[in-house]
Amino acid sequence: MLSEKDIISTLAMVREENLDLRTITVGINLTDCVSDNLDVFKGKILDKITRTAANLVPVCDRIGRRYGIDVANKRISVSPIAVVGAPFNAGQLVEVALTLDQAAAELGIDFIGGFSALVEKGLSKGDAALIEAIPQALAQSQRVCASVNVATTRAGINMDAIMLMGKAIKSAAELTKAQDGLAAAKLVVFANIPQDIPFMAGAYLGIGEPDAVVSVGVSGPGVVKNALEQAFADDGEHIDLSRVSEIIKQTAARLTRAGELVAREVATLLELPFGVVDLSLAPTPNANDSVGEIFQSVGLPAIGAPGSTLFLALLNDAVKKGGAFASSHVGGLSGAFIPVCEDLNIANAVTSGSLVLEKLEAMTSVCSVGLDMVALPGDTTAEMLAAIIADEMAIGVINKKTTAARLIPVPGKKAGDTVYFGGLLGEGPVMAVKHGAEENRFIRLGGRVPAPIQSLVN
Amino acid sequence: MKKLLISVMGRDQPGILAAVSTVIYQRQGNIENLSQTLLQSVFGALLIITVPDTEAPDDLHKALLEACSKLQLTVHVNPAFPESSAPGALIQPYIVSVMGPDRQGLVSTISSRLAQHDVNITNMQAVFKGGDKALDNLMIFEVDVPKHTVMQKLREDLKAISDSLSLDISVQHRKIFESVSKIRN
Repeated sequence: MLSEKDIISTLAMVREENLDLRTITVGINLTDCVSDNLDVFKGKILDKITRTAANLVPVCDRIGRRYGIDVANKRISVSPIAVVGAPFNAGQLVEVALTLDQAAAELGIDFIGGFSALVEKGLSKGDAALIEAIPQALAQSQRVCASVNVATTRAGINMDAIMLMGKAIKSAAELTKAQDGLAAAKLVVFANIPQDIPFMAGAYLGIGEPDAVVSVGVSGPGVVKNALEQAFADDGEHIDLSRVSEIIKQTAARLTRAGELVAREVATLLELPFGVVDLSLAPTPNANDSVGEIFQSVGLPAIGAPGSTLFLALLNDAVKKGGAFASSHVGGLSGAFIPVCEDLNIANAVTSGSLVLEKLEAMTSVCSVGLDMVALPGDTTAEMLAAIIADEMAIGVINKKTTAARLIPVPGKKAGDTVYFGGLLGEGPVMAVKHGAEENRFIRLGGRVPAPIQSLVN
Repeated sequence: MKKLLISVMGRDQPGILAAVSTVIYQRQGNIENLSQTLLQSVFGALLIITVPDTEAPDDLHKALLEACSKLQLTVHVNPAFPESSAPGALIQPYIVSVMGPDRQGLVSTISSRLAQHDVNITNMQAVFKGGDKALDNLMIFEVDVPKHTVMQKLREDLKAISDSLSLDISVQHRKIFESVSKIRN
């Protein structure tokens, strides 16, 4: 029998604290669709995606109703298009992106990820074409997300690819000038990209994954914040950081359980295998759904104040531990995100000057992703964008973790201006970049940074 | 051997279970199943026992009353119902939570509607702390929903009640509560 307390705390999680199944993402392998005939290829991928995920939306809605938990978004990730669409040139790959967009529209889902390339050690013909296609692909489509992995701890850092990405980001933002550079918000550059991320914009289906697989992204920063606030209200004098970590861990475990249960039911009904639970504290621009607020609930004046890096390290670690205990199949990014524009509290910390780009970068060394949804002045050069990405990749490669950069150089805007992307992508201030408008001859050196030594760890 | 159902009710005090079980033991009976509960200061228990075929329910009743005379208990002894053979797979456990202020007739309204849909209430808890917080004024019905019940219709009917009485009623599968609250499942 369930205790009254268990029932009430579960009801509170679902009703008041924004526990949400942020996304159920069906990964679909497209390698069996390959063709060097563009029309054949487009027809095959449209057919396979819409056939495999035909029931995704109705099934998620039905299961969501049964458990009283909304599946906020339903999404698709596909095999890296640079691999399956390798025979095509950039113009043709833009058409492929529009086919993916059409598939997403037909299924009634908000994002489809996998317009991706893995280029940590070098660029194949398909990879180069895909990177060239990215700006137009993202500007012309509504729902397509792109990601490019430019570095791994085992392969090192591909600086030539990073320079190309700096240019691609700049160009994507310019093409969507009227929407504050929205296209760049759908593009992520990665180091050590996981193969099974259900969250956008970084989702793609890795080559080692099954033909189709259902994964779930669970979020709930509000649940964690409320658990901490409740603990401080009940017994504030006896709470130290061991206890804080324990509370976060237990809360993370509860969130993960809820996510896994729902995702497994969805997978069963779709007759597809279940992949992973990705428990990530992924904020939205709603009150009580903010990672920044968690920082304040433990007594920091604002995210970005001294102490923030330590707390983020504790938070990220405790979330991972709770998730790993609750489910045998935890994957994706699993941790705490600190996206600037998607989190009102973090955006406010930037506006008030508590959080600057340099501190944000330091914090990404202990968060689960990286520089996420960071709006930058429109005059930031492609070289400086590449340099910011390179710094972020170095953190990931040396620390054997995933890092990523989702940078939006907003055309016509300067530091301190506000940008508006709408929906989940939110709004926020443009962050200042020191030397942002200057050239950067260092980045032009290009080449590959060798993979780091795995011993002498200090 | 035959099965009997005993119900015991009265003011809670030490020695109730001791008195009842001793009589059963002395008369060669065996307790198969027992459930007891406390509601404020009232004790209530149901026992399913097996006794020799020669035992008369009335005699056992008399013996129990005699043993419990000082405890001022109400005791009933009846033949046990045959065990239900309904297979568990044909029901789905749900939790119906009703948030909103207490008012007369609320339990009757909700439970009657559940009964109309053949939904069986297996446990019910109520928390009324007052104030404005939704979760401080809450009734929780743990229910078994048979396969032939149309969930959509049940939800619509409960929605009609919640709209007319300004309540917030949710119907969620029990698995979600169990998976979130229990380590082993």
